[in-house]
Amino acid sequence: MNDEFARSEYCPLTTDHCPLISVNLSDLLQDVLSSTTGPLMGSFRPEVVISITILVILLQRTFLPAWKLGAFYLMLLGLGTAFYFVVPWHGTMEGMKSPPPFTGMLVADSFSVGLRTLLYLFTLLLIPFTQISGVPKREDAAEFYVLVLGALLGMSLMVAANHLIVVLVGMEMASLPCYVLAGWQRNRRFGSEAALKYAVFGAGAAGVMLFGMSLLAGALGSAHLPTMASKLIALFELFPQERSAVVATSGLLMLGGLMLFVGIGFKLAAFPFHFWAPDAFEGASAEVGAFISVASKIAALGLLVRLALAFSAVPDPGALEKLAPAREYLVILISTLAAITCTFGNLAAYGQTNMKRLLAYSTIAHAGYMMMAVAAAVAVAGNADRSGAEEAIASLVVYAGIYLFMNLAAFAGVAFLRNVLGSEDLHEYAGLVRRSPGFTVCMALVMFSLLGLPPLAGFTAKFAVFKALYETGKSPIHALLAIGVLNTVLSLFYYLRVVKVMVIDPEPADRTAPEIPLRSAAGGYFFLLASFMLLLFFFSGGVANWARRAVESLLM
Amino acid sequence: MPEISQLLPLIPALPLAAAMLTAVLGPRLLRKQSHWPTVLALALSCTASLMLLCKVHREAGQEEYERSGYEKIVTLYTWANVDEAYESDLRLRSPEGTVVISQGRKPLENGRLRQQSPEGATVNSRRDDSNKDSLATAAPLGLYNSEVIPFQGFTSLANDCRPEGTKKQGATIKNFRIEIALRADPLTAVMLAVITFVSTLVAIYSIGYMHGDPGYWRFFSYISLFVFSMTMLVSASNFLLLYVFWEAVGLCSYLLIGFWCEKPAAAAAGMKAFLVNRIGDFGFALGIFLIWTTFGTLDFHDSTAMGVLGKMRLASPEPIVNGAVGTAICLLLLLGACGKSAQFPLHVWLPDAMEGPTPVSALIHAATMVTAGVYMLARCMPLFAASPFALHAVAVVGGLTALIGAVVAITQTDLKRILAYSTISHLGYMFLAMGAGTVLGVTAGMFHLVTHAFFKALLFLAAGSVMHAMGGVIDIRRFGGLRRIMPVTHWTFLIGGLAMVGMIPFAGFYSKDAILLAVAEKFSFGNHVDLVYQTLYWTTFGGIFLIAVYTFRPFLLTFYGKDTVIPPEAGHHAHESPLSMTGPLVILALGAAFLGLYLEKTGGLAEFLAGTPSVAYLNRYPLAPEPSHETLESLHSSIGRQSTVMVAAGILFTIFLYAGSRRRLADRLAGPMKRLGLYQLSFGKLFFDPLYRLFVVRPLELFAQACAWFDNRFIDGSVNLVGILPKLLGAALRPLQGGLIQFYALAMILGVLIFLGVLLL
Repeated sequence: MNDEFARSEYCPLTTDHCPLISVNLSDLLQDVLSSTTGPLMGSFRPEVVISITILVILLQRTFLPAWKLGAFYLMLLGLGTAFYFVVPWHGTMEGMKSPPPFTGMLVADSFSVGLRTLLYLFTLLLIPFTQISGVPKREDAAEFYVLVLGALLGMSLMVAANHLIVVLVGMEMASLPCYVLAGWQRNRRFGSEAALKYAVFGAGAAGVMLFGMSLLAGALGSAHLPTMASKLIALFELFPQERSAVVATSGLLMLGGLMLFVGIGFKLAAFPFHFWAPDAFEGASAEVGAFISVASKIAALGLLVRLALAFSAVPDPGALEKLAPAREYLVILISTLAAITCTFGNLAAYGQTNMKRLLAYSTIAHAGYMMMAVAAAVAVAGNADRSGAEEAIASLVVYAGIYLFMNLAAFAGVAFLRNVLGSEDLHEYAGLVRRSPGFTVCMALVMFSLLGLPPLAGFTAKFAVFKALYETGKSPIHALLAIGVLNTVLSLFYYLRVVKVMVIDPEPADRTAPEIPLRSAAGGYFFLLASFMLLLFFFSGGVANWARRAVESLLM
Repeated sequence: MPEISQLLPLIPALPLAAAMLTAVLGPRLLRKQSHWPTVLALALSCTASLMLLCKVHREAGQEEYERSGYEKIVTLYTWANVDEAYESDLRLRSPEGTVVISQGRKPLENGRLRQQSPEGATVNSRRDDSNKDSLATAAPLGLYNSEVIPFQGFTSLANDCRPEGTKKQGATIKNFRIEIALRADPLTAVMLAVITFVSTLVAIYSIGYMHGDPGYWRFFSYISLFVFSMTMLVSASNFLLLYVFWEAVGLCSYLLIGFWCEKPAAAAAGMKAFLVNRIGDFGFALGIFLIWTTFGTLDFHDSTAMGVLGKMRLASPEPIVNGAVGTAICLLLLLGACGKSAQFPLHVWLPDAMEGPTPVSALIHAATMVTAGVYMLARCMPLFAASPFALHAVAVVGGLTALIGAVVAITQTDLKRILAYSTISHLGYMFLAMGAGTVLGVTAGMFHLVTHAFFKALLFLAAGSVMHAMGGVIDIRRFGGLRRIMPVTHWTFLIGGLAMVGMIPFAGFYSKDAILLAVAEKFSFGNHVDLVYQTLYWTTFGGIFLIAVYTFRPFLLTFYGKDTVIPPEAGHHAHESPLSMTGPLVILALGAAFLGLYLEKTGGLAEFLAGTPSVAYLNRYPLAPEPSHETLESLHSSIGRQSTVMVAAGILFTIFLYAGSRRRLADRLAGPMKRLGLYQLSFGKLFFDPLYRLFVVRPLELFAQACAWFDNRFIDGSVNLVGILPKLLGAALRPLQGGLIQFYALAMILGVLIFLGVLLL
């Protein structure tokens, strides 16, 4: 039975149970070629476009240095094309039924398409922002954009990973450019320090994760996720007979899983792997902060969903039951960390006086809310009816999609205010409403949305996740829900404090007039983002439908 | 000629468009031309209403509607659709004995469902036989009266998410839908015609009256918004929509009373009107809740379920709820009607509402909005007919208010307030007619509503014309003899006054007599002697004398007298008003003079209104056997003779007191009255305001202060406590983030180890 299950899957790089070993070399080559060229022309076209864009920008930098805005336009063109290709109605979903791309190293399903759409959309929104706010400077723009694109490529791999090697490669591809970006402001001491801390911490986390991966791969004899899942089922089937062996292997697997989670937790800035985040965010410019806090997090969540569901939801209903211990472990792991992360983020955000630090803790808290949805999905993944898990993941996608706008807007607001105030300290924002009322109202909208008040998008996001948590019908998840709701109350105070300082506090006498009219580029951009807070609430039905489409083939 | 389904949405849509256009373009672009969108829209809307009236009149005359009444529903939009919201016992059945629950996404199917049941089909048990009549046979019979404009919008999320298969096609209706459904029936058609006609004239009048006001565009925007709300109110086909626009007209009234909000009295009056109305609206809302829990629907018409006032429910008296619940519903609805129509004990806001511009007083606080309560009673008459107590309550409230208004109006000195009290009094007469609970009563009340709209709007506009010429002075003691400089205003005011007192052959005569007849009919026939109606009849009959006095006193004081007295505020150029103001006066005067005669002699209005489903119901199930036509006619003519004598006596008495140089007579008469305290009672408006202040406002203020104290101390305190706690916790966590990367790495490893330890142990 076990063999049959394994054979039904496509398993490229494994040694036993695999029928491929008996075919001859030319067939194998043929197979590898077809599984590589197909997806490159099909579902992974956007990534090809991104790679080409990187090359073109570098070439332009070398051969046409006089064209100052070249990088910006090339970037927009490349990203726009990639975005055009990634949105589901342009053929990315085709070929899903064909053999898995890249000999099974990647998956091309609706979920990866959905998250990649979000990533590209986010970057597409980020580029004009960097241009308006003036970081990076025009002469450095090419390098900056190349780094962003490189990271984006890694993130695309992360959300489409189906193999531990790809997980590692993707994470490193996503992380390394981020380290450089964090230290982009070379002349600032804090910037370099932040980058260094980030890099050292990242290296440590990657090391632990790699160790964990080797434990998992060693214990299960494969690094291909579906194969590992089938091996795990086979292991659990042995349980009553070879008790001691199973227990020993399980312990090893738990340790491996935990260590693997360290890497993801680092990217998510989950407690206790979050320590880099406040320092890095404070040192890095707000533009980079926006990129790290949104893109990195979406990719890491996508990866978490992939890994968690690989070991908790398999297509075969008979095998599904046997994975109960794995699910239990994952639920405990993810929900505990989600609860602690969320609570810690909110509590620590209290005393912050620097806006970027405050937002750093706020993003930690938001990562916690999003992890809750993953825990909920894993908790109900064992049900024969898959709609529960699908709804939970869909709620996560809704949250991620809305979080993208909220957090980008928050960081954009901080960046624009930095440009006129020269400071990112909260108390400098005092009395802002008197000089730039429109901007302040938009900022307040963003803060209320992050808090999750209706009629703003943040409410839609929180409501979707909390609804998914409630509908699991499991008491540990309900406890998680209670923690999430309490945390929302906690977060009220520090988000409102920002609004209070801007609106109620008296203006300091010695300040130059910080005016950002909504008619300026910065004001207009910010207004546009803030208006999404309302739009995404009122068109929440569309967002929900889109998210449901994004998860429709995840569990098949 | 356009179809009803095209005309009906057009009537409110045009004023709404004008309101938005004026609001957007008014301040910058239109400025002094801001009246154009409103005047044009209202004129078109009026044309559409008159066309609708003709069309409904023609169609309702057909034989098939004779018994059950005529109605036509136009559904514009499904506002909300909640699946499986409730279970209903009373249900509409399709041939298979099941109900096909329509879905929000298929508008055409909605339409097909809104079939009317075939004649004779009644409640559950009996309807089973008629189930054989399928939709297909119902349609050609002309009973399929619904038209749906495929205009589908936001349906509830719950509905969207659910897969199709889970919708039960069970035997009971379970979904609750709120539709923007408009209805065309005789009652609505009459109301629409009156509202749009009067409002068009008032809008034209306002061009002159509001000329030069800084809020010119604002005024016309509000007026259009009001007409939109009012036309929606009378054409809504469910209680929820009725309530929404009930509130919307209240809002417009608030905005327009406080139009000159820089004047403290105007701001206070607006607030008072709004707050007093809240009491009534609260009752109305409770009534609607009770209707919902009792009937399981809020629709008037039959849709997926049997409507509250739908033809199926009206087909037999049993499904109309009576008993304590029925009475409670009616009394709560009555409370709502009392608030909006300024009836005792909620009448105190209307006199103060005169702080608003005079055209507003004419349109909203005399002709249209305040009659919404009467309209609502007429609409809900089948519910009231099931509860004798509620009918008595309506009649008593009406009679009492008629008397209170008349008594207070006699001694007031502010011309507009006199008219306001007369409005209260006349609305009381309408309520009294509704309280009769018979076809005669309802049609009489509506008849009076129509004529009242004309003569009262006329009187107010004439008063406004006087006020305009007198530089804003409205105290009748401060001017006199104005007929010499304002001839048109004088003559139109005279016609309006004669119509109001009910002098033959002016409009008020016929409608007032119709009301008296309806009340007299309640106790004059058969061996049943109803003391309540008898008492009310005689008091209101005596009230006619008072009407004559309070109408002609200000008239004589204003327009007659030896010398022309003009207050200094008017300056040197007190003159007749411009054509834009006198034109509407003349048109309304024609209406006030001849409309009653026309409607009475043709007998058209009563017959037409009897074609409304809710009135047809009264016809079908009369409370008492109807007297023969001849006896009724003889009663009618005797009432007509008596009331004419009464009116003539009143007018002569007033002329005797006030005309010419004999004005001192009135003062001499006032002496003993003052000693008796009667004068002060009337002049002090029966002391309702101070009594309310003492017994309602003061206790509420004290209670509010107590609440504020509690809120500040306890609630805010506990919230602050909650706020401090996480702050402290956060401060405790801060040292973790020391900035040392060695510590970070240690924490990470420790975290992993602790977690592993917890898992393994």
